[in-house]
Amino acid sequence: MSRVLGLAFAAVLVASPLRGQDSLMLRLRNRADSLLSTWREAQRLADVADSLERVRATAGSDTIAVGALRIIANPSPLPLREAAARAWPAIDSLYGSAAEDLVQHPYIIRAVDPDSGVRRAVLHVGVELPWDLDMRATTRILLTTVTPPRFDIGLGDWLGATLRPTLRPGDEQTAVYLQLVTVPSEAVRGCFVGDIARCRDVLQLGDSTGLVGRWYVTPAEREALVSGVFGDYFARGGTAPSLQKCRQHDDDACTALLQSLPPGSLPRLLATAARLSLVREALRAGGRNAYSRLVAHPEASIDTRLASAATMDLDSLVARWRNGVLAARPVSLALPWWAGVAAMGWTAFFGFCALRSSRWRL
Amino acid sequence: MAAVRGWVVAGLVGCLALALAYLPPRGARGSRSSDDGFFIGQSPSGTPARQRAQALADEWRTADGSLDLLTARRRLQLLAQTAIASGRSLVVVSESAGVAAATPPVADSAARLAWQQLGLKETKVSVALIIQRMSVSSRGDRPVPEEQTAAYLAPDSTDRTTCIAVVSVGRWWTRIFTGDLRGRVPFDALVQTLKAGLGPCAFYAAYGTPGKSVRGWLVTRGWDLALTLDAGPRGRYYSSVIEMADPRPRWYWDAVYALPPTAVACLASRPDGCRAAVLAGASDNPAISSPDIMRVDRRWGRIPRLIEGQRFLGDVARAVGRDRFLTFWTSAQPVDTALAAALKRPVGEWTADWERAFVPPIRLGPTPPLGGMAIALAIAALALAIVAGSASRRQVR
Repeated sequence: MSRVLGLAFAAVLVASPLRGQDSLMLRLRNRADSLLSTWREAQRLADVADSLERVRATAGSDTIAVGALRIIANPSPLPLREAAARAWPAIDSLYGSAAEDLVQHPYIIRAVDPDSGVRRAVLHVGVELPWDLDMRATTRILLTTVTPPRFDIGLGDWLGATLRPTLRPGDEQTAVYLQLVTVPSEAVRGCFVGDIARCRDVLQLGDSTGLVGRWYVTPAEREALVSGVFGDYFARGGTAPSLQKCRQHDDDACTALLQSLPPGSLPRLLATAARLSLVREALRAGGRNAYSRLVAHPEASIDTRLASAATMDLDSLVARWRNGVLAARPVSLALPWWAGVAAMGWTAFFGFCALRSSRWRL
Repeated sequence: MAAVRGWVVAGLVGCLALALAYLPPRGARGSRSSDDGFFIGQSPSGTPARQRAQALADEWRTADGSLDLLTARRRLQLLAQTAIASGRSLVVVSESAGVAAATPPVADSAARLAWQQLGLKETKVSVALIIQRMSVSSRGDRPVPEEQTAAYLAPDSTDRTTCIAVVSVGRWWTRIFTGDLRGRVPFDALVQTLKAGLGPCAFYAAYGTPGKSVRGWLVTRGWDLALTLDAGPRGRYYSSVIEMADPRPRWYWDAVYALPPTAVACLASRPDGCRAAVLAGASDNPAISSPDIMRVDRRWGRIPRLIEGQRFLGDVARAVGRDRFLTFWTSAQPVDTALAAALKRPVGEWTADWERAFVPPIRLGPTPPLGGMAIALAIAALALAIVAGSASRRQVR
């Protein structure tokens, strides 16, 4: 009898944690379900509240319409209309027919006292700008905060930036020219001298396999990259011996180290301006619907999208971009004929003064 | 003479009071100086209704995560027992959006290598590692899962021999596992991620269940001092911008002053501050809930209680050796006594030395601005010159 009782007692003891866990799980499930339904309700309320806040934030504001730009702002001395009139042509020429979508994305601007000591209300919607900005600064803000229509992550990742208009596209190309002639890289040098395949490589267009070898062509470049940029990264742990070998000019070790890096870690040979200027070139070549074509198929590869936007094959586009960049070569400093004469004259004048002066007392 | 002394004392006291009231701490922003001429707009904040929805979403994530862990324990019980029978103490599974998915072979290999690198073989407490991939599309009818978080279910009376770790690997690794990101898989980085992901479960596997005081202390602190059993060599990975910069830029000091005061004091190599930072949460009568579920925020840039605190106990274990650490880990004594006994040094002093290996000691205290000091000295010199001039012209009859 006592044996049976003992067994029953043991069974109860073993089962009790499991029963306890069951009830706990039930409680947790009920709580999670209840929280989920409360959250859904709270989300709906938050959507309404956000919408009301948007209405409240824009109540009593002026709406400025220039082209498809819509700016909702409180009354202030900010030169918004003039700035929008200046910004719109640049925006329209970049996005073309897609710029019409900007009606759906109005700027909501709250002009505030520039004195940072003045207490401001909490901002829920839009951006704050001090009301003493001049037209140039206001234009720059409109251009740098415009929402690119249907801009996708793939394009953004490849570009390394958001595609927005610039008032000085020539400066961008000049910057790229300077990079083409100064970046210490065989691949970039090849692009500069007219090798279009190299240009495609440095712009990361097409197949991305074997990027290490195509970007960093010579063993010296690979060694410099490992020792310089990634020296600290590879100096500890299991990669330290390979780093030592690489520093002793073992190219296989350098290549293996570079290939072990996570995708996307290799420093780009040319700065973002190069890719931006290529896209601008494609949009210029493709006409008003070029941007719409560029963003129409986010799943397609970048080279396909660029060729589609420019309505030409990729090599022709890259060649056209290269020609544009070469044409943007900075103007070399030209001295007028009289500058040399003036320099000689001043030299003679100071020399004469020196000869006429009394001896120095030491 | 007595009257002059009184004036001197009054002047000095006045200067001291002014200094205390007006001198800013080192690196602190002046009230207006740096902002003058530079407008800083506010970032839009959510409406109160949106903030409430976000808070509810957080609560739901906690409840749902706990439920997932308890469900996983049941689901994996058989798998864990089979693994233990075959001499393995680590079970690796994968899931996406709450549904079991095939574990990518590379993740499985990386987890096993991580286990090996942590020096773990067949252990008393086995670990079930659930690699949670981010679902590609959010369903919209429930809160979006958070990246870079982890949750752990410690062994308890229901299952005394299994610790469960759920590691959310984020979008980047998910894209690698699904083959969305082409290229060579950075295997070392994956091993490191999973090594860190094992978190408190690695401690359970290596040293068993901690004693009541140590466990209560760690539970109270959210296990922030034992998140990584082996974080690798010092200086290879940084957990804060403070370790990466020198004290010149102003943002360095912003990052320093965002820390709790005890962590700031520890950065200045003050043993009292270090001791307080480490022993915060240690009490004589700790409360441990059952089931013991830990949720850990692994995001880079979170504000820690102690810089590099996540590797503190791992480093203690390496420094004192397995036996002494095990004595501390299972000790019934109060945490401060047990830890000092294991370290054979006062906790504050050891921690100050340890912290110095990551960040060179900073100097704290008030600093007069250079320009202000120059002006003050010039005024003082002028005053002295006037007084001296007046005194020399004074005639005593």
